[in-house]
Amino acid sequence: MKLMTMWKDALESLVSSPATEKYPFQRLDAPDQLRSQLHWNLEKCTGCALCAKDCPADAIEIIVLDKKAKRFVFRYHIDRCTFCGQCVESCRQGCLQMANDEWELAALSKQGFDVYYGDDADVQSVLVGTTPPELEAAAD
Amino acid sequence: MQVPIMPAKGEKFIIPIGPQHPALKEPGHFEFSVDGEVVTGASLRLGYVHRGIEKGTEGRNWVQTLYLLERICGICSHVHATAYCLGVERLAGVEAPPRAQAIRSLVAELERIHSHLLWLGVAAHEAGFDMLFMHSWRDREIVMNLLEGLTGNRVNYSANVLGGVKCDIDARQTDAILAGLEHLEDRTRHYLTVVTSDVMFLRRTRGIGVMTKDVAEKLGVVGPTARASGVARDVRLNAPYAAYDRYPVELITATAGDLEARFIVRVQELFETYRVIRAILADLPEGELTVRMPRRIKEGETISRVEAPRGELFYFIKSNGSDTAERVKVRTPTLPNMASVLTLAVGHQLADMPMILAGIDPCFSCNDRMIVVRDPAGRGAHWTWDDLREYGIEYYR
Amino acid sequence: MSAVFALVIFPGGVFILLAGMLYEWVDRKLVARFQNRVGPRWFQPLADTVKLLAKEEVVPDGVNAQLFVVLPVIALAGALTAVLYVPVFGLAPSFSFSGDLIVTIYMLSLLTLCMGLAGANTLNRFSLLGATRTLTQLFSYEAPFLLALLGPAIVAGSWRISTIADYAAGHWLILTQPIGFAVALIGLMGKLELPPFDAPEAETEIVAGALTEYSGRGLALFHLGKGVELVVGLTLVAAFYLGGVTNPLWFAVKTLALLVGLAGVQTLLTRLRIDQTVGLWWRYGALLVLVQFLALILWEGVIA
Ligand code: SF4
Ligand code: SF4
Repeated sequence: MKLMTMWKDALESLVSSPATEKYPFQRLDAPDQLRSQLHWNLEKCTGCALCAKDCPADAIEIIVLDKKAKRFVFRYHIDRCTFCGQCVESCRQGCLQMANDEWELAALSKQGFDVYYGDDADVQSVLVGTTPPELEAAAD
Repeated sequence: MQVPIMPAKGEKFIIPIGPQHPALKEPGHFEFSVDGEVVTGASLRLGYVHRGIEKGTEGRNWVQTLYLLERICGICSHVHATAYCLGVERLAGVEAPPRAQAIRSLVAELERIHSHLLWLGVAAHEAGFDMLFMHSWRDREIVMNLLEGLTGNRVNYSANVLGGVKCDIDARQTDAILAGLEHLEDRTRHYLTVVTSDVMFLRRTRGIGVMTKDVAEKLGVVGPTARASGVARDVRLNAPYAAYDRYPVELITATAGDLEARFIVRVQELFETYRVIRAILADLPEGELTVRMPRRIKEGETISRVEAPRGELFYFIKSNGSDTAERVKVRTPTLPNMASVLTLAVGHQLADMPMILAGIDPCFSCNDRMIVVRDPAGRGAHWTWDDLREYGIEYYR
Repeated sequence: MSAVFALVIFPGGVFILLAGMLYEWVDRKLVARFQNRVGPRWFQPLADTVKLLAKEEVVPDGVNAQLFVVLPVIALAGALTAVLYVPVFGLAPSFSFSGDLIVTIYMLSLLTLCMGLAGANTLNRFSLLGATRTLTQLFSYEAPFLLALLGPAIVAGSWRISTIADYAAGHWLILTQPIGFAVALIGLMGKLELPPFDAPEAETEIVAGALTEYSGRGLALFHLGKGVELVVGLTLVAAFYLGGVTNPLWFAVKTLALLVGLAGVQTLLTRLRIDQTVGLWWRYGALLVLVQFLALILWEGVIA
């Protein structure tokens, strides 16, 4: 039976600095394992779209311009991504990787949340919409 | 001017708690009829956070469903994923490698630490003891950081994949976890002294909300709430899953059945958890992390039970041989525990209600399911996703 | 003219309101630091007040509108009136007459009464329950608190605050009347509804208690009133028990020291249920202070 059992914590807290993280002013280093923005490597990709099929958030679209010539564009909706890392597991070629330091992704506008990876010319052609619709293999 | 209806003389005076109320961090609706300060009756309405998750699984493949189910609970996300993975793996006839099973147990136990510390803080806050609240949450950050370092995320860890786990553990992480546990064990010992010896705090917990073993068994209460009433029940022991046969846990029970006992059981479970984590880290099997899973799961049905921080979590999974689950039914531990709140409420002071409610460590959003018993609208008993959506929008109008 | 000045600018009015906010900030900051948090910045109470004053005041259905609007004003006015008879800032009280101690104590209770009425005025169930608890609590600490402040009055042989303060400046009454000191300080916490006596506004049970329906201006005025009451209460206790507050420096040191103690008690204790509060006051508080009071009377009677 005691009164004020936490007095020691109170005194210790008074003299030590607050536990609160001062986030925007002080940034902590992210651990190596942290999952943030996804990166895609065109070289190894076979266009199998397994990653897109398994993504729980429909955040990945593989746009196949020409399967034989390996002309794929990887459209990544970063605003939908839940950073679960399943796509990295699903890809058997190992072309997907998640960075650990690109996690400050909040923005005021939706623009920029569609990330395109791939050959510059191909991305351009997808952006201006010259891709023939029948070639656009939207993931589901 | 519209005058709200007040109870006439002799009628019950009802205090509504929820769906929006500072005592509840999630929506649920309690009605306590009071006589002065003493509660004479209680009723409950759930369903404010029904999200149609079970229905949602029907439109996703087995892999996508995992991540949907992991989001049933924001606190014990890993146990949901584990229960689902174990069930689906059993249906598919594969078994995750031992190292993966050990890591599953490891993450589950780390999650238990975070959940119990969180609960300790919330329960203290309900009693108006914010000092304990703030300090236990401060210490919870340690285990959150450990989980982040191990799995890559603070909340929905996504440690599981079908057929194994994603994250491996290396020597540096082992050291970090051991160091973190060292500190946490000290703190936990201190908290145990606080909850068992602080006079002012004991005035709010000792002898309050007593649930005898009989009542607990009759109500089908699960988890630490049941163990505080002397019901020796723990899925990790009774039906070991993942790696719990390799690293057995010991049962923590108390007999008093009051709020203090619930505090003691949960805090002492923390020590047991520290011990199990150390055992896992000391003797981690080598080997693969995953086995290959088929995309289509064989026809069949199974149940899968795991011990969530709040008690037994139950999954029923049925496959029709396609790449989508035919039915996933989830019963979270809060549902059986909820009944005890209503039973215990009567006869206590209104001021004890938040404490009694917090005593079961409720999680409303995990809990809310929908069952159509009678269909007044005359729609078919089979609801489509659109029906559900429409109903949801109507409901809140 | 000087009366108006005393009431509106200094020491009453503007100055005491600012002091109230400052003390509120110190209290909040200390509690936060005890809990290892950062706590509010120094202008937070002022910002809160300005923001509340700028907001629309919603008068809910089913209340007596005039009463609803006027109660916060009366509450604040009561607290401000009390300031005039108390040596705040270490200065002599602006006004003084024999028996002003009683008037001051009742002026302080006016705030609590207004809050109770404000809660009972609305139809909100949390408010009604909060009002009941506020008034129940008032009746439990009021008598011991009064007795605790009468102790110094007895030994000083006067009911005039300035006379008692003068007498107490020469005697550290905390040494001769420790029970009175403790009861006065704890009674002050009950008056201000600080934890552990915050059952009347226990947020996890009855939201904001009696003030649940208040917003905007009304809420701001009640808060200001509480700040003023905090300063007045601390001044009284420091002046009576801690060797007086004869100059501004002593005033600051002594009241702030009391505030540190107050903040510590607030952080370290769990909220009492209302029945426990009442039990505590009548079973121990009242009894102890009564014993001391009788002892004092006997002592005075024998000596004199
Ligand atoms: S991390 Fe998850 S949500 Fe994000 S793209 Fe990959 S699979 Fe989809
Ligand atoms: S799974 Fe890998 S190989 Fe297949 S489409 Fe996705 S990134 Fe390319």
